[in-house]
Amino acid sequence: MCPALLEDDERCLGGTTFFARSHPVELCGSNGLPLTPNSITIYGRSQFLKTIEHSNLSTYLDIIRSKHERIVVVAEYSGEPLSNRNNLSLETVKKILYQCLLGLCHINKLGLVHRHLSPDNILITKDENVKLYNYGLYYMTDSGRNVSFPIGYPKYLAPEVFLGNNPNGVKVDSWSLGMIIAECLLKQNIWSGVKLAQCLRKVLSLINSETTIFERIARENNCLKTYEALPEVVKDFIDSCLQIYPSKRKTPEELLQHTLFEEFLKKDLVSKEQKIYNSVTARKMDELYYLWQLAGGDITMELKKQGLIRSRPPILSVPNLVVLLGQIFGRRDMAGLLDLRVVKVPLDTLRQRLCHIPFTANYPRLMNGTHIQAQDNLTRAASQLPLIIRERDTEYQFYRIVLYERLLQGYPITRDAIIREAHKDIPPLVRGRVWAALLNVSGDIERRYQMIDKETPTHTDRQIEVDIPRCHQYSELLSSGAGHQRLQRLLKAWVRDNPNYVYWQGLDSLTAPFLFLNFDNEARAFACISAFIPKYLHKFFLKDNSAVIQEYLGKFSQTIAFHDPQLANHLKSINFVPELFAIPWFLTMFSHVFPLHKILHLWDKLLLGDSSFPLLVGLAILRQLRDSLLTSGFNECILLFSDLPEIDIELCVKDSMAMYYKTPASITYRSHQLDQSKATNWIDPEPGTEKMPRISIKDFMNLLQNSKQNVIVVDLRNNIQFERGAVLGSINIPFTSVQLSHTDIMSLGPHAEPLANNRDSIVVIIGQHDQNNALFTEFLISCRVLRVCSLEGGIYALRSTAPHILVPPR
Amino acid sequence: MVVIMVTMASRSTAQRPNGSTQGKICQFKLVLLGESAVGKSSLVLRFVKGQFHEYQESTIGAAFLTQTVCLDDTTVKFEIWDTAGQERYHSLAPMYYRGAQAAIVVYDITNQDTFVRATTWVKELQRQASPNIVIALAGNKSDLGNKRVVEFDEAQTYADENGLLFMETSAKTAMNVNDIFLAIAKKLPKNEQTGSAGTSGQGRRLVEVEGQKTTTSNCCK
Ligand SMILES: Nc1nc2c(ncn2[C@@H]2O[C@H](COP(=O)(O)OP(=O)(O)OP(=O)(O)O)[C@@H](O)[C@H]2O)c(=O)[nH]1
Ligand SMILES: [Mg+2]
Repeated sequence: MCPALLEDDERCLGGTTFFARSHPVELCGSNGLPLTPNSITIYGRSQFLKTIEHSNLSTYLDIIRSKHERIVVVAEYSGEPLSNRNNLSLETVKKILYQCLLGLCHINKLGLVHRHLSPDNILITKDENVKLYNYGLYYMTDSGRNVSFPIGYPKYLAPEVFLGNNPNGVKVDSWSLGMIIAECLLKQNIWSGVKLAQCLRKVLSLINSETTIFERIARENNCLKTYEALPEVVKDFIDSCLQIYPSKRKTPEELLQHTLFEEFLKKDLVSKEQKIYNSVTARKMDELYYLWQLAGGDITMELKKQGLIRSRPPILSVPNLVVLLGQIFGRRDMAGLLDLRVVKVPLDTLRQRLCHIPFTANYPRLMNGTHIQAQDNLTRAASQLPLIIRERDTEYQFYRIVLYERLLQGYPITRDAIIREAHKDIPPLVRGRVWAALLNVSGDIERRYQMIDKETPTHTDRQIEVDIPRCHQYSELLSSGAGHQRLQRLLKAWVRDNPNYVYWQGLDSLTAPFLFLNFDNEARAFACISAFIPKYLHKFFLKDNSAVIQEYLGKFSQTIAFHDPQLANHLKSINFVPELFAIPWFLTMFSHVFPLHKILHLWDKLLLGDSSFPLLVGLAILRQLRDSLLTSGFNECILLFSDLPEIDIELCVKDSMAMYYKTPASITYRSHQLDQSKATNWIDPEPGTEKMPRISIKDFMNLLQNSKQNVIVVDLRNNIQFERGAVLGSINIPFTSVQLSHTDIMSLGPHAEPLANNRDSIVVIIGQHDQNNALFTEFLISCRVLRVCSLEGGIYALRSTAPHILVPPR
Repeated sequence: MVVIMVTMASRSTAQRPNGSTQGKICQFKLVLLGESAVGKSSLVLRFVKGQFHEYQESTIGAAFLTQTVCLDDTTVKFEIWDTAGQERYHSLAPMYYRGAQAAIVVYDITNQDTFVRATTWVKELQRQASPNIVIALAGNKSDLGNKRVVEFDEAQTYADENGLLFMETSAKTAMNVNDIFLAIAKKLPKNEQTGSAGTSGQGRRLVEVEGQKTTTSNCCK
């Protein structure tokens, strides 16, 4: 028993497996590229099933693709199948029936039919809670089109399924349910011993029945007595299910209104309240499955253990005959089959792992700080581990998920707490929702997304169409048909919603991570990208964005010079400008450069910074390649970026954060950024001076106040002016005494030594002329002095805003 | 990774017995232009690494690769700029074709618009690029013959009228890929200096090489 999971051990996982239909080899799509494998199509479609939540439906948890187009489906499996129960009382049957209908109604509302109902797919717990199982098979295979086996148990299938007219209607399930319940009531296995092919004949023969179908079945199976003993209302119900003509048969929704259920409908209100209570107390099944996997659970392994997946020697998969055109004969005989077995896997692995966690851990209290504190204590040790390890630590993830679930329930009030926690890390399971919170997404996003026209053809359609099949296609989600359609809708919606902007290649990559995380919530993906672009890429998608990009890349060069003058000097000497390699970096916030798993970790932190953070990410990448860059000429450097070597993303994030905190905001300030709150006193630079890093008066004053020990001030005025009044502790290097061509810091004399030895300080140049300030800054950078910038407005700015800090040095 | 492969490739070709130290080494800047998704990056990938990726990523800005080929006693090193095809990136293009000695303008034989776009690229190059630039026209995706809309003859006539090299290529099947680069290499003048006088700072930088000393005296003698 595991108190943290708060429930009995009836909840299990169920694993099933089948093969998708494989395309004939070498068959190409109209674009000459290979067809999307059916398993990918199924994978994309089935994601939607995971979002279905209903107390009479087993939750879908995972769809896994493996070799040879095999699909493994993981869903909740609680209790026993109806097929294992016999001699049920009429009352019990009614209860089961009622809940089945509730489940069916729910999927009907979502546009699904079960089409695969059988006593094996109706699960009943000890306290007679019913959950339909396997209700997504027909849907995920696109009404069976993506598989080569028929779906449905012949015995329970409605006649129209065999006759092929409207086999997808919701009434198909009414028939199946009627047959199943009839069987329960007659306490007899209908047509037992009848072979599959004959079964079909049996069903079709019912068409000519003279009595009601229920009665006829009873006669056929020698249990007319049991039949006659049934109450009329029950017979009537079964009759409304077992109508040959769909037009006369009732839908699950109509069946629910049957007088048989009068008492239940009344009781329902009461039980609903109870359910709300239940849903608060239990951890959700998807969380449990996620944690179970972290604890070492592996459904494919379980299927192998039970013999559902058998590995065969490869030699047996070799085709018997291959003709020149690529057609193959005699291979993989098992491909046509659906294995009806379900492997039931208890969550024991997880229970053992979490058994010592107290019940109260499920309820972190947020109102007073102490409970989060308590959790902090529990997770502190783990929080020091590398991110990759933390993400795989069952217990740590348990605590994090519980906490985030709580915070997300309280969003947007809890936004600050979410940001605080996100600084530590974001559990992968909740990332999509957390990102939305960090991006301040709120309000009726569904409605907003719904209102946008995503269909009308536009000029950009062709470009979007050719870009999508090239966008992160290694991802099963994004390469599926569903992925393509959704990405297309998102892009079209964004272009439509932003008439001032246009589609630039790269917007696809930028949108992909949001779709990946919110695959079944397009509206949220859209809200996220809509919030992300103004925050980080304001004006980047203007039709003419050259000024914006130019400014950004200019800042990038300055950032390099500020933190790594040696590298900046080298790149400058070989004329290696960011225009040649960094446009895809920044235009897509690295989403065109890295694979998704790296983007996720990078953006986890990016979303906590402002629009200058990416500059430091760019620099951190350069610094990982620093040794190669410093020893390479132009060609080698550019080759390096055409196929970027492996970047350690955690290190990159760490470095960028460290440099971000050491960069005064004004150094990276851009006139094109959205947030202009810090730019009140910023004057447009004199031409020729904007190439060097500059610091604003405000940032400078802040530095002096808060970390004076980390500032070195260089005063460029002549000695007389300096003696009259200067910043305390500043070094006087009159500009006229400097030989700019002689790039050796020691040439300035002994008092310049702190500059040469600078490690952690910011060097601020104060002078009289912007031009000279910039020249001297450039000079110091050539001398490889770290973190040099000139004070915006020089001595005049200082005199007018803070004259009090100018004091006679002696 | 590329760096290693490419240098290895160039080294092995340069050290071929017949390519002795006496052989000339020429360095040419080549640019690929053409509408998005016609297969520019795929052609380069096929030529440089011998690979084809169905899901080749789109190009943003531009990408740079090098490859060396041997022609009789001359070693020709291509510095290849693969540009972004989307019309919007047009303003960046001059940065890449400036100072280029060769260009491959690519279209997709299954799409008429891409051919029209190719002809405007040719016009722009004739007007704005170096006067001696060697231009090749590549009708790519020739493996999709059953979906063809641009006729071979139509393109051939156009190429002849404009003095372009012309081939139909397929990055997928590798058909004519090496051939078109070789044809360009053959046509490039190897008896005058690379990096013609008209190139601007940026352009020249892209042609200058670490082995500049050999270039002036040795290469293209
Ligand atoms: N059938 C076929 N497909 C090709 C061929 N060459 C490229 N493709 C496909 O066409 C698509 C576009 O190819 P890219 O090489 O990315 O095109 P591009 O011209 O570089 O496009 P941009 O980078 O957007 O300018 C990809 O899906 C390729 O797989 C070919 O010769 N035959
Ligand atoms: Mg490309």
